[in-house]
Amino acid sequence: MTLYSFHIFDRRGKTLFTKQYNAHFHQKVSSQSEEEQRKLVFGMLFSLREIMGTLAPPNDGFSEPTVLQSVKTGRCTVHVYETISGMRLVMYTDNFKQSDGNGNLAVRESLRYIYANIWVEYVVRSPLYRPGDLLAVGDKGEDLGSSNRRRFDIHSTEFEKRLDALVTKQKWYK
Amino acid sequence: MFLSLFIVNQSGGLVYHRPLSPLAPKIDTNDWLRIGSTFHSLHCLAAEAAPVRLPKNRNQRTGADDGIEVIDAGGMILQCLQTRTGMKFVITSTKTKEDCDLSAVLREVYLLYVDCALKNPFYELDMPIKVDLFNRGVDLLIEQYHSSGGSSRR
Repeated sequence: MTLYSFHIFDRRGKTLFTKQYNAHFHQKVSSQSEEEQRKLVFGMLFSLREIMGTLAPPNDGFSEPTVLQSVKTGRCTVHVYETISGMRLVMYTDNFKQSDGNGNLAVRESLRYIYANIWVEYVVRSPLYRPGDLLAVGDKGEDLGSSNRRRFDIHSTEFEKRLDALVTKQKWYK
Repeated sequence: MFLSLFIVNQSGGLVYHRPLSPLAPKIDTNDWLRIGSTFHSLHCLAAEAAPVRLPKNRNQRTGADDGIEVIDAGGMILQCLQTRTGMKFVITSTKTKEDCDLSAVLREVYLLYVDCALKNPFYELDMPIKVDLFNRGVDLLIEQYHSSGGSSRR
């Protein structure tokens, strides 16, 4: 299974983190349309969640709740893990078919692990972190007007290093 | 257990919707129309947003455009079959232990559509499908799938 990209969006659609893997497979896009593409991804996930909510069977308390998990298109699948705070962890992989049929579950479990054990540990628990004050991708990081403090940059933490270490160790990574 | 079936024409307008079991949510007609057109746009959007696409945006074998094929949402699965002409047959169902092949169901519905709607001289293309034979055919098909437990029928 090949990993193509990984994004983290906050509840309003700002990209908090993004990383491309195996870029030689991707279609060539300029950096500005990369941002456009991310906006498309967020918009699509947002609308899909609304649709699935309408189409879902009424909640009877027994069956699993309807939460958007993955969307498969011709050549790739997008996996989503949405946290209660509205943050979405999004991963694009290819359409792999695992023999035990649990491929999607493995990716989802990895996304949950990335959130709980890497994001929370290394970003949220960083002493410089202030909620809502994250330096989004594409922001210039200028001053905030009233205070002299700069926005918190994720790249100052070990997040990316730990993320790469985890992802390359997975059995499904190629 | 199947939930609902809906069919969207190539311009994005809804031409058919039907609940397939008592578990299906009660959605009124306006909401169905909205679901139909939203799904139509999201189908293309999914292909645009993806980093890797099919060559020339089409599946060479089936002639269908690149777009949403399967959506997995916890307790529910949505599967879409796009035909060469751009019509989308979409079915939703709950996840059950027996792995029902939803794409086979969709192909059967497509055949029913061709036999009952397209070959009907009074049916206008791209208009809402109000053909009784088609409704009966769909009901019979779903009943056969439910009774045979999702395995091969006939």
